[in-house]
Amino acid sequence: MIRLSGIRKAYGRTVALDGLELEIRDGEFFCLLGPSGAGKTTTLKTVAGLEQPDSGTVELDGEDMRGVEPYDRGVAMCFESYALYPHRSAYDNLASPLRSPRYRLPAAEARQRIGAIAELLGISALLDRPVGRLSNGQRQRVALGRVLVRPARAFLLDEPLSHLDAKLRQQMRAELKAIGAVQHTTTLYVTHDSVEALALGDRIGVIREGRIVQTGTREEIWYQPYDTEVARAFGRPRINLLPGVVTESGVAADGGVLLPVRARAAPGTDVLVGLRPRDITLHGEGHALTGTVYVTEVLGRSVEVTVRLGTGEQRVSLVAPRADAARLRPDDPVRLVVRPENLLLFEADRPERPGRRIETES
Amino acid sequence: MRKRALGWLGDAALILYFVFALFPIAWMVILSLKPADQLFSTYFSFSPTLDGYRTVLGDSEGIPFVRFFVNSLVVSVGAVALSLVVGLPAAYASARWRFKGSENLMFTLLSFRFAPELTVIIPLFVLYQKLGLFDTYVGMVWVLQLVTLPLIVWIMRSYFADLTPELEQAALLDGYTRKQAFFKVALPLVKPGIAAVSLLAFIFAWNNFVFPLILTSNEAQTVTVGALSFLGGDRPKYNLTAAAALVSVVPPLLLALTIQRYLVRGLSFGAVKS
Repeated sequence: MIRLSGIRKAYGRTVALDGLELEIRDGEFFCLLGPSGAGKTTTLKTVAGLEQPDSGTVELDGEDMRGVEPYDRGVAMCFESYALYPHRSAYDNLASPLRSPRYRLPAAEARQRIGAIAELLGISALLDRPVGRLSNGQRQRVALGRVLVRPARAFLLDEPLSHLDAKLRQQMRAELKAIGAVQHTTTLYVTHDSVEALALGDRIGVIREGRIVQTGTREEIWYQPYDTEVARAFGRPRINLLPGVVTESGVAADGGVLLPVRARAAPGTDVLVGLRPRDITLHGEGHALTGTVYVTEVLGRSVEVTVRLGTGEQRVSLVAPRADAARLRPDDPVRLVVRPENLLLFEADRPERPGRRIETES
Repeated sequence: MRKRALGWLGDAALILYFVFALFPIAWMVILSLKPADQLFSTYFSFSPTLDGYRTVLGDSEGIPFVRFFVNSLVVSVGAVALSLVVGLPAAYASARWRFKGSENLMFTLLSFRFAPELTVIIPLFVLYQKLGLFDTYVGMVWVLQLVTLPLIVWIMRSYFADLTPELEQAALLDGYTRKQAFFKVALPLVKPGIAAVSLLAFIFAWNNFVFPLILTSNEAQTVTVGALSFLGGDRPKYNLTAAAALVSVVPPLLLALTIQRYLVRGLSFGAVKS
């Protein structure tokens, strides 16, 4: 269990962490998602004891970690920069924790462990090579191996798959969670890739400007995003956010479009209605909208269609199966179907903060 | 056509500079090979002899040149060794931890290097007399710290600063203590720097003239001062001084040649993503 409460950390005038609260349960795979500069790495280093917070407490398994040296915290970390020892071979890098006074294993046992991990990560053939002669993707896997090779109270992984090529990344993403050590070790995984977070995280935390904006399961994050920023962060193509005004019968958007959302908000309030591109269909049951095709883009088996809604200039994108959308041409009239329960409602974005989600009644 | 003319001109300029730079050394070699009786009578035509070297290395003329030579070795090696022992941790600490006044401290250290030695030599002479450090190895090694320590600390500091701290952080998380992280990770990675700066410090210590001139008399006297003793007496023996000077060039030269390959930086590639 990792618990961070009220963590503040500033570097000079730059505030990296601003009252960060985070709790990661025992054995959980927790993904921390945020843009660069949001404080992800600082959070990991604070847990590891490599950075001292200006205020706030770090607890591991209920123990306050104040004044506990990094080597006594029992956590393993994979650095985004790899931080491999350049003067040693890949094997010696992997062996480093197993030769340390704290995690020492007999040489034969260590060799076995390293062999198994190297096999798992597909780097068995590279073990004799000096680190300087490995590609970035290979170095990254060695760095990950150095973490997984030994038992730890928690794994701290800082974008551990970011430098792999697309195919390998997808494969490693699938394998990572299947690794036994990862399954029963609390893991804090940092990424800026929302697909990775959704695929891996038992729970996901969204960090922004040194604060946790929202934590939750992937369903919670997906269906009840805290605000428009969180909603925009997940899903490609991005969620459609249509500006509108609350009325008695729903939300009136630009171009004479009426969206059937019952808001707990006073009529006349400016809002944004969120529509996921995959929740809009070209036929079926639900609330119908009309529009004209603006542009289509084939994405393999499906097609991304951008539609001008109603009579206005407001555009929405949707993803439809190729069979449904193949014949659509720009300026063709189309009928779109949305289900009221899939609509999200947000306050209008303001300069000082993105619009928060508003509860809907359906 | 014009290009070729320029090329020739460049070559000529280089040759001119080459002669200008090497002539003093050539002159010293010629001088050292001259027999004593032809010292002042000829420039280039003489009967070369190694007598000068024999005299210098044979401790004749009542001047124990070999001992001066050994003194120089002991004192310079000792000064560099002590500076490394003290300076490497200091350089590491100053590269990694900034605290209030750390920059001032580092600057003070550097100022030892650019303050003229003559400004402190008189008080040092008095102190050394009182403390019994005058004309001793310990005294010389100590005072040479003014020369070698700032050099080693400042150069090694930049080497350590170039290493990403994440390497030692990784070692800490691998289960090593801070001390082990320093010895097993940071230190091996700055080896080329240590070799280069040690050589440089050795040369500075070896070439130092003012400290041994004032703070030694015989027992701990070094070659720089010792070579000059051939100029004393009724007639200055330039040939012997030249021979002594040339012999004293040998150790720094040999050292430079043997560790040349370390002087090329570039071992730390691969530590960080490019």
